[in-house]
Amino acid sequence: MNSPRIIFLLLLALLVFCFGLAAQLSPQFQSWRGSRSGGDIFNVVLGDSRRMFAQSFYVKADAYYHSGYYPTMFDNKEAFQTQHMAEDTGAVNSNNHGDEESFLGPKRNWIDAFGRHFFPDRHTHLDEGGPTDDLSGSENVREILPWLKLSADLDPDNPQTYTVTAYWLRERMHKVAEADVFLHEGLRNNPDSYDILFELGRLYDESYHDTARARNVWEEAVRKWMKLDADAQSDNKLVFEQITTHLAQLEENAGNLPRAIDWLHAAQKVSLTPDVLQKRIDDIQKKMAALIPVAPAKLY
Amino acid sequence: MKNIFAVAGVVIKELYRRKDFYVLFIITVLICLVMASVNIFNDPKIARYLKEICLLLVWISSLVIAITTTARQIPAERENRTLLPLLAKPLTRPQLIFGKFFGCWFACGLALLCFYIFFGALAAAREHQWPLLDYFQAAVMHWFMLGIVVAMTLLGSLVFAAPSSNSTICFVIIGGILFVGRHLDQVATSMHEPLRAIVNALYFTIPHLEFYDLRDLIIHNWPLIEWKYIVLALLYATAYIFAFLLGACLVFRRKPVN
Amino acid sequence: MTAILQTQKLRVEYRSREMRQGIKVALLGLDLEVRAGEVFGFLGPNGAGKTTTMNVLLGFVPPTSGAASLFGIDVRQPIARQRIGYLPELTYYYKFLTAEELLRFYAKIFGLARGETDKRIAELLKLVELEHAAKRPIKSYSKGMQQRVGLAQALINNPDLLILDEPTSGLDPLGRMKVREIIQRLKHDGKTVFFSSHELGEVETVCDRVAIIHQGELKAIGGVHEITGKHASLEKAFLEIIGFNSSTAP
Ligand SMILES: Nc1ncnc2c1ncn2[C@@H]1O[C@H](COP(=O)(O)OP(=O)(O)O)[C@@H](O)[C@H]1O
Ligand SMILES: [Mg+2]
Repeated sequence: MNSPRIIFLLLLALLVFCFGLAAQLSPQFQSWRGSRSGGDIFNVVLGDSRRMFAQSFYVKADAYYHSGYYPTMFDNKEAFQTQHMAEDTGAVNSNNHGDEESFLGPKRNWIDAFGRHFFPDRHTHLDEGGPTDDLSGSENVREILPWLKLSADLDPDNPQTYTVTAYWLRERMHKVAEADVFLHEGLRNNPDSYDILFELGRLYDESYHDTARARNVWEEAVRKWMKLDADAQSDNKLVFEQITTHLAQLEENAGNLPRAIDWLHAAQKVSLTPDVLQKRIDDIQKKMAALIPVAPAKLY
Repeated sequence: MKNIFAVAGVVIKELYRRKDFYVLFIITVLICLVMASVNIFNDPKIARYLKEICLLLVWISSLVIAITTTARQIPAERENRTLLPLLAKPLTRPQLIFGKFFGCWFACGLALLCFYIFFGALAAAREHQWPLLDYFQAAVMHWFMLGIVVAMTLLGSLVFAAPSSNSTICFVIIGGILFVGRHLDQVATSMHEPLRAIVNALYFTIPHLEFYDLRDLIIHNWPLIEWKYIVLALLYATAYIFAFLLGACLVFRRKPVN
Repeated sequence: MTAILQTQKLRVEYRSREMRQGIKVALLGLDLEVRAGEVFGFLGPNGAGKTTTMNVLLGFVPPTSGAASLFGIDVRQPIARQRIGYLPELTYYYKFLTAEELLRFYAKIFGLARGETDKRIAELLKLVELEHAAKRPIKSYSKGMQQRVGLAQALINNPDLLILDEPTSGLDPLGRMKVREIIQRLKHDGKTVFFSSHELGEVETVCDRVAIIHQGELKAIGGVHEITGKHASLEKAFLEIIGFNSSTAP
């Protein structure tokens, strides 16, 4: 009769013991493994399966972005192959085909039809008002953050988690300082990530208006990207184009027009739409041409 | 009727005099408070992850309470032989079954009330709103789902001899229904006959407990469900509860007790 | 005198999964009759079928053939149990309840009114001398106290017929004497008591009539003196009847 109670007490004791042990040992782990923080306990407890958990929490963040409207493994996932929240940040290319409104398909039978009243069945986005279409609550995107943070803690080697999180923090929540800290944390874990450097540059440029630091960071990102082997480069063309065009824009605004043209030429090499870039080059060249005659006049 | 409630009263007394519920409740509260104290990007308004964790714990605890309490009722009566003086009174066996059912079900209801009040307080602390009707819908649906679980476990406790094997089987069946019940017909399409027909038949006969899981709706502040669907779902649950209890009465009717 | 408790050609076979060889016959055609107002001792060695007979009378076990009735009502109808009290052998009551709560619960099943319940509980606790422990949970009781709680619950409805299964087994001499006293008091109040035992001494002192069964068969029935007859004591008679020859015994 007493056995369930004893089991619960044992569980509680075990829990307390584990927490105590973890608290006791974590400083030691820290000193054994060097400076890396956060990931260690997970690493020890979960081993490599932590990546899987990290991925599932990353997907959970996307489900939160849809207020719980999300296909299960049995549903048609055509329209949910890449995370919409990551897509919106420009972190990934869209790979979504099907109709987003109908991953459930037509109603199969009365049980299915009846069941659909009891879970989220409308496609909405948190930053567009969510299920109540109440636009005043667009800051509700904060709700996806815990899962992103957890995902980053579990798998600190995935740069995308940091860039996507930083984007939402900075763009929608206006939490620039937090985004800054988080990106630096990501950079510590992924020193070679041009993605994180790019996002960091955007933060310096767009939020702090610190052109010099943005330029440094982006140029560093270009150098990191250049170090990739040919295969990796051809897989990651989008981000290179983004970095170089941002650099070009920065130089153009700063008045270094030739440098801007150089960056655009670099971008053209990987771009899918080189003619669009050509048009920008032509525009800048026109601007330069307009400037040159004026300059000598001032000399005299 | 008074006999049924007399039996139910003893079950409820048993639940609140045992410590299981308090332990589960305290663990839930502690975990939620620890989770609430985590600093996420200096934003104290983030609420939904907390609501989700809290509701997950509430669901697990409620299933544990419902199944373990119910599974030991009749086996314990047999083992301690309290069934003998009880049935020697003018109490019919169906009355005993219904009494045990209502006792476990009301006890679960009381536990749920505590859990949902805590959940409401936790959510209100973060979101500064009390969508009482939404919580009411979720709690009532949850409670009726537990009704099905209790009735099913009660039937199981008469069919399977050992309470532990009965609890395990009930956990597996109920977990299975909650996770794949909704998709069994899709699973069936990828199978060959006769398995396909069996899985399809299963799809149409099992109680679809996943209807009663409104967690996503209240976590993400969805609008209320239309009441007529709630009423229909409750009727559906009642039908299954009666079916299981009837089954239990039939099994128990001819069973020698000694 | 009318028969309050009656069995006719009662036969009970147990079918159990543990016994591969099939069925175990516990009673083979038992005819029994207990009259109003008497204390009836139901004797037999362990395994004779005493508990089985009571299980049939209370509807716990369906008879394979034959019939049993209480107050002329077939035992399969719950109403037959409205006016009886029953004390099973070796029972533990709900440990988490107090004696008072337990009695109140059973009173509710008999449909006793609230005032009557209170009065009855006070009387019974006094009768079985548990007033001091009435508000303690039953799990803190000794064996003798538990047995007395059992007696109290059997009496909660002020029954006309009491069926007691080995009421004194496992009690110390003082406890036995108290149970015997209670039985005698009940007889004095005009109740019918049907109790099983294999303790012949106490049977001799309180019973009007006895029946002796052995291996599911009725071996003797009658007044204590009739059965003792030419033997020196009831014990000698009992041993003789169940076929135990004391002269050949070691
Ligand atoms: N549930 C049962 N299954 C099989 N056999 C049983 C069962 N209950 C009792 N018996 C057998 O029936 C016989 C009579 O038992 P019982 O009536 O308990 O004897 P007692 O006179 O000691 O009370 C015994 O041989 C016992 O082994
Ligand atoms: Mg016996």
